Amino acid sequence: MNNKSRRDFLQLCGLAGLGVAAPVWFPTLSRAASEELAAYDGPYYVVFNAAGGWDTTYLMDPKGINGINRLYKDGDILTHGNHKFAPTAGKFQVGMSNEDFYAEFGSELLVINGLDYSVNNHSPGARYMATGKLDSDAYPTFAALAAACKGPTCPLAFLTFGNYSNTGNLVAMSRIPYLPSLAKVANADSIEGNLRMPYEDDFVVDRIQRALKEQIDQRVADTLLPRVERAQSMLYAAQMNSQSLQRITPFIPAKIPKERLSQQAEIALAAFKAGVCVSANISIGQFDSHNNNDVDQMKLIPEFLAGIAYFLRRAEELKIREKLVVIVQSEMGRTPNYNNGNGKDHWSIGSAMILGPGIRGNRVIGATDEKQFAVPVVPDTLACDAAKGLRIRPEHIHTELRVLAGIADHPMSKKFPLGVVEKDRLKGLWGAES
Amino acid sequence: MNPRLLLKATGGLDHEGKQVIKADSTAYRILAEWVRQVNDPHGGKSGMKIAVSAQDTRSFFDGVAMLDNRKLMRRITLSLAGRLPSEDELAAAQKDGVKAVGPILDKLMKEDAFYDRLAEAFNDIFLTRGYDGVPETALSYDNFEKTRNWCQKYDLKIEDKAAQQKARYKLTDDYREAMLREPTELIKYIVRNERPFTEIVTADYIMVSPYTARGYGVYDEMREKFHNPEDPFEYLPVRLSALKHRNGKVQESATSFYPHAGLLTTFQYLRRYPTTETNRNRLRARMYFQFFLGIDVLELAPRVSDAAAITAKFKVPTMEASECVICHKTIDPIAGLFQDYYDLPDALFGPRKDGWFKDMFVPGFEGENLPPQDRWRALQWLGERTAKDPRFATTMVEHVYFILTGRKTLLQPKSLDDPLYDAKQRAYRAQRAEVERIASVLVKNGFNLKVVFKEWVASPFYRADTRSPIANSPNAEQRQAEMADLGIARMLSPEQLERKITAVFGKPWNRLRDKQIAMLYGGIDSKEVTERAVDPSGAMGALQRIMSNDVACKEVSSDFALEPTQRRLFPGIKPDVLPGVSTENDQRIRAAIVHLHQLLLGQYDIKENDPEVDRTFQLFAGILEDAHARKGIEPQETYNCRGDNEKRLPDPDYTVRAWRGVVTYLLRQEAFLYE
Repeated sequence: MNNKSRRDFLQLCGLAGLGVAAPVWFPTLSRAASEELAAYDGPYYVVFNAAGGWDTTYLMDPKGINGINRLYKDGDILTHGNHKFAPTAGKFQVGMSNEDFYAEFGSELLVINGLDYSVNNHSPGARYMATGKLDSDAYPTFAALAAACKGPTCPLAFLTFGNYSNTGNLVAMSRIPYLPSLAKVANADSIEGNLRMPYEDDFVVDRIQRALKEQIDQRVADTLLPRVERAQSMLYAAQMNSQSLQRITPFIPAKIPKERLSQQAEIALAAFKAGVCVSANISIGQFDSHNNNDVDQMKLIPEFLAGIAYFLRRAEELKIREKLVVIVQSEMGRTPNYNNGNGKDHWSIGSAMILGPGIRGNRVIGATDEKQFAVPVVPDTLACDAAKGLRIRPEHIHTELRVLAGIADHPMSKKFPLGVVEKDRLKGLWGAES
Repeated sequence: MNPRLLLKATGGLDHEGKQVIKADSTAYRILAEWVRQVNDPHGGKSGMKIAVSAQDTRSFFDGVAMLDNRKLMRRITLSLAGRLPSEDELAAAQKDGVKAVGPILDKLMKEDAFYDRLAEAFNDIFLTRGYDGVPETALSYDNFEKTRNWCQKYDLKIEDKAAQQKARYKLTDDYREAMLREPTELIKYIVRNERPFTEIVTADYIMVSPYTARGYGVYDEMREKFHNPEDPFEYLPVRLSALKHRNGKVQESATSFYPHAGLLTTFQYLRRYPTTETNRNRLRARMYFQFFLGIDVLELAPRVSDAAAITAKFKVPTMEASECVICHKTIDPIAGLFQDYYDLPDALFGPRKDGWFKDMFVPGFEGENLPPQDRWRALQWLGERTAKDPRFATTMVEHVYFILTGRKTLLQPKSLDDPLYDAKQRAYRAQRAEVERIASVLVKNGFNLKVVFKEWVASPFYRADTRSPIANSPNAEQRQAEMADLGIARMLSPEQLERKITAVFGKPWNRLRDKQIAMLYGGIDSKEVTERAVDPSGAMGALQRIMSNDVACKEVSSDFALEPTQRRLFPGIKPDVLPGVSTENDQRIRAAIVHLHQLLLGQYDIKENDPEVDRTFQLFAGILEDAHARKGIEPQETYNCRGDNEKRLPDPDYTVRAWRGVVTYLLRQEAFLYE
């Protein structure tokens, strides 16, 4: 890397909407055909989303009273360290019980209960939880923002498999529905991806790259309309950065798992391990249990937990486990009562679970009362206090997530303020390690 | 000034609403100004500076240059008909400018390719291809149980079992594809015949093909009308009789016909947007507002202090709690109009068994209740009112904008404290004025949608191309924000890119027709992935490199193998012409490069001394320089880059491969990959 080319690249990123934060690694553009971009080395951010609205009383916010749950009573509620959770072992066919999940991950798990989604409709709830902003459709999701700030040169910086995925025009969104399809594009300059059969001689590739660079250098100083200017820069960056995709092939597993979450997990993990990805949205749906709530939730929550566990265990095998920040969420909760179809409808109070480096586990912040209403929390102490506290909303969590990721002061974050004043910040949310 | 009102809004009084706005905000200043004007309407001038612009006399397009007319013509023909402009069209565009657009579009909008694009584009909006289950299940078991699976027993008149099986697969695939196409065939029929586009909500017919007609059980009455009864994709309008349940009961109908209401009553549309006992047709109401009146009702969802408490406090919050009523008062009457499409789980046709919900606002539209005598034709009743609603026309204009640009029209900026609020508001107003102008043209022309295409492509919003430098202007940031949405700069979808390759090279690449690759390149499945990617990811960048490598590999050698007069890419040059040998040679190479820039990138006005041509020339010459310096280079083109059934082309000077490098370079550019 030299200073001139670094300046060029920063200029390019800025024009592409990729911001002015210096990417940590940088190619010598004129030799980009033969030199790889350095790998992004973490932390990686993963959002597991239970689309449709989960029943938190069957997981991390157990009740067992007032007819809220039919599968257990309050006396059946279990604990692990400071966690309380609903008993689910033996109540489902496939997946992972709460008992096993907490036994394996409870010590590193931060639970936030009594989270006020403020609305009880899917779309605004999903938008709010993903971005921290309810009343704007322009804000990027946290995953997209983190990708844009921390790894703009990664070819798959922001991976998504569903859920609300707005990028705020900061970074390109990558959808990789099938792992094998990724293998097909990993070596783009070779016929059928066979490295022994390049389309062009190396000096031709090099000449093409240089000509493209010269062209983009000239155009950034031109009189293009902002959209056109941005499009050209994004295109150039995508083609240039795509060269590092070949690093992903060694991490594509020979055997692809059958489970839908595990498939997504393998794609994300391969991309993380290869250093071509910063963040991923992993999502499964059908949690919207208006009919037969208990049947549906007892099918989906164990599947969801098993998917998270699969992801973390595979990350351990790949030796990137300690670099993962995992956010587990949904766009709404479910009512404290059953409807006539044995289902539960939308409820604007819910929970989230987070674990990863810089987060002290074995903790529960916030609560709901016996009727599943949110109990306010004092931001300075994180203690529940109905009189003096405030309602924890997505913007409070997102504000702290940005701090955790070290991007709170990044110019791109500042373009999308969350409006949480200092006195309302959740002090020490991440615990002593943060 | 009434301090009490301001105090309330800023939380200075004990008030249930608590603090709504901050004392130092723009919203506060606007409210203060309003209070001042109410209290003293004829008083002195306001001392407040409000961040809402007054009349701005500047032209919105000051300093913005429009696209060269020949490039405009190329954009139009590629975008709407998947072909390059003809020489005549280019000549007309050069001679008559924008005035040439209308007559040429009139002709273009008679081409089948335009209607294929129209169907694809409106599916991007309505997503009707994305319903669950096999396509024929759009026809309910209760009403079509004897006909919907006709192809299972259809006599193919083939004895051989294997051949029969293969033919039956083909028959079934075609039938299913024909079912999926029906809703967009309705749109094609309306536009092709210049019928009022309001028919998408009022048409008293559907479109059927010989195959789908069999599914409905109307083939016998239609057979003579089809030009080719064996064509699965020839569509004609038909009015279905009132539906007959398999128990013998016939649908209530004053006309004895099914009460068609355009798309609203097509079974594919209803199946794509299903309902449940708790959803109560509210999804259908939401989509109705979005598709036909341009309103995203969920975007309006207001924040309330405690939504859970409201839900618990009221027996029927949607009718009693003001926070809920504000939306449900509008949404639920529409949901009620779909009440006869509620036979769960399919919810295609048939009322709710327990009668329609009493704890919802009664069926109607914008305050007008559905008359009982119109209950049997409730969606027709809705369609009639929709067609008269001024929001319908503007929404259709917005849909066409989406088709042409790949993005939605601007939303009004919300944050009054945004320092760029004025600029964003100005951009919004300018675009909104154009939408409303075109909507009025649409209405005046009897809702002929073709006029909307003609108006948009002639509009500066479609033609804006470059701007004058503003970097040193004192209002550079504001002007930059105003222009943020100008220019097309639309990345081509996988389908569009395939069409462009076909148009330019005369044959498709085909790799982007693979569903997995198309998804990787930002395509949609109309079901779970419903929005096309707007920016290229690294994976898409890799696909662009593969495409440019592969297309150049296949086409350059093949082109040189032809007689010069038959060549598309290199009609005026031979491989033995080397640069730096003579002025004449260099000129011929430059002329060949100009031809490539024009053909591949549409740069019709480019000259041989243009810097872009210089760069391409240097690339060509540089490749040859490197090749000649390298020992052991093969004197023939790569084995894999020979044409179909052709021998490897001799390439002793490396010029064929150098030209291949040039084509690869051009195909990687924004001018080829974007619109």
